Amino acid sequence: MLAMNKIRIIGSACIAVALAAVVSSCGDGRTTDTGMEFSRNMYDPIGYNPDQLNNNFANKITAQTPPAGTVPIGFDKYPYENTMEGYEEASANFHNPLERTEKNLKDGEVLYLRFCQPCHGESGHGDGSIVKLEKFPPPPSYATGNSSRGGLMKDLTDGKIYHTIYYGLNLMGSHASQLSPEERWKVVMHVHELQQR
Amino acid sequence: MRNISLIFRRVAKSVTLVAILSMATLFVQAQDIKEGESLFKADCSACHGVDRAVIGPALKGVTERHDEAWLISWIHNSQALIASGDEAAIKLFEDHNKLMMPAFPTLTEDNIRNILAYVDDASKPAPAAAGGAEGAAGQQAGASGDVSNFMFGGLIVVLIIAFLVILVLNRVIRTLDRIILKNRESITEGEEGEDDGGESSGKVFVDKLKKLSRNKKLVFFVVLGIVALLSTAGWNVMWNVGVHEGYQPVQPIKFSHQLHAGVNQIDCQYCHSGAATSKNASIPSLNVCMNCHNAVTASEKYNGEVSPEIQKIYNAIDWDPDTRTYGTDTKPVEWIRIHNLPDLAYFNHSQHVTVAGIECQRCHGPVETMAEVYQYSPLTMKWCIECHKETEVNSKDNAYYDQLIAAHDKLKSGEKITAAVLGGIECGKCHY
Repeated sequence: MLAMNKIRIIGSACIAVALAAVVSSCGDGRTTDTGMEFSRNMYDPIGYNPDQLNNNFANKITAQTPPAGTVPIGFDKYPYENTMEGYEEASANFHNPLERTEKNLKDGEVLYLRFCQPCHGESGHGDGSIVKLEKFPPPPSYATGNSSRGGLMKDLTDGKIYHTIYYGLNLMGSHASQLSPEERWKVVMHVHELQQR
Repeated sequence: MRNISLIFRRVAKSVTLVAILSMATLFVQAQDIKEGESLFKADCSACHGVDRAVIGPALKGVTERHDEAWLISWIHNSQALIASGDEAAIKLFEDHNKLMMPAFPTLTEDNIRNILAYVDDASKPAPAAAGGAEGAAGQQAGASGDVSNFMFGGLIVVLIIAFLVILVLNRVIRTLDRIILKNRESITEGEEGEDDGGESSGKVFVDKLKKLSRNKKLVFFVVLGIVALLSTAGWNVMWNVGVHEGYQPVQPIKFSHQLHAGVNQIDCQYCHSGAATSKNASIPSLNVCMNCHNAVTASEKYNGEVSPEIQKIYNAIDWDPDTRTYGTDTKPVEWIRIHNLPDLAYFNHSQHVTVAGIECQRCHGPVETMAEVYQYSPLTMKWCIECHKETEVNSKDNAYYDQLIAAHDKLKSGEKITAAVLGGIECGKCHY
């Protein structure tokens, strides 16, 4: 009697194994959903997050560009234009308001290592970590190089270095969005240190 | 006879001479090109490419456009050459938006000749590109090969397991068969009518179940087991409601932290610069990407084309890599947020990054090894509190705690302390 069932049992065993194989082969083990959620509205703010989709605006961006001429409270406007003249004016009139204290120098070094070192290098010779990997061309050395705006890198003034951080130059992009005015001055302070090396 | 050998010797001599000479020139040239290449990479590549314009023009064929002496004086000091009234120099300067090229007085004439030799050599259509493409294709094939190997292995394992299961079941069936046959021999004739061979197996099964359901102890244990199973499952589900640990959505651009933070060693805060100063760690805006990707296009991996993922940045910010200019048709990249605290919890990055000095990896896990980011920590209240219970406050040289310590010192020395000193007149204490 069981001899007949034997085929059935073997068959069902085969189907079970096949089913297990099919089910487990789905997906690559990653979780692309957030799992079970309860009261999702407690996660989402009533106001919009800056990086959220927003159907109230034509371009659907929450973080709209402020109207032209708007200035936030406490904003330091950089008055010099991105031209050769602006560059020279900044060099002549724009000076570091921060005192050369040990703390400012230390902060400047930390910021320099974070924002400038990948290209300019720890010692400022244009041998940064990304340059050493040959993924980005080397900028001129602060101590021995020539500036593409004329003159030696060694002679760059407060205003010139600040101007370059603010607007960028050649392959270097503007770092104004990543550094506050005070932080830029701290970096300028550290670059002056590197001009001596 | 003698003549022939004489001619042969002469020919052989000249052939060897030519060979040696050409070898020598090749060798010298190779040396030059090598030195030129390293000089080019160090001094020129920041503004010039061979095949494409970067800041300055592409240098392909530059030795045909200008003669060597002119190039040497231009490279030594282009501004002086322009000032001297050289027409070609002035035209070049005007044609390129009056972009100044730095002077290179330290390069010797031989250095410059080597650089030019390298540029000439690199201008030639290089077979390297084809090799690179092949390499890329090979890599891809390798990757898909890995996947199929893995699947093939899995299939074999499944088959082996299935075979073993069948073997075991076979044996069990045979044993059961034997037992039943033995039992049937001892079964009395009277029950024969009921148990006849024509009976359906379904009915047998129902009968068996009925018999089992009369066994109260068994029923009790089965019910207990089911209740225990369901409650553990329910408990687990409840604990994981709203916990997004392991959440790894597909992002609009295949940005790899493993490449940027791992291989290229870029500081987390270069891009997430808000982490040190604000509540949010800030998703970098595209201008931060462009700080590097205005030059980095990974075209060497894509047959000279811009990498399709980098092209997505260009499309979003409307950047034309050939003319190196921005357009006005910009659109945001819709990154998908992974770490999402409910709005009822306040979290501030700068407090943890700047004041406490905690490494990003403590909460976000080994991001520098993640090709695609996933949520590493559960971000539950329990998880926060466990860390807050253990972490010691580092108040030394930490401006954040200066006032706190000063207030406590005053209290200890018996001075009068008003609520205002402890922040009692801050707006948020009442108007939150």
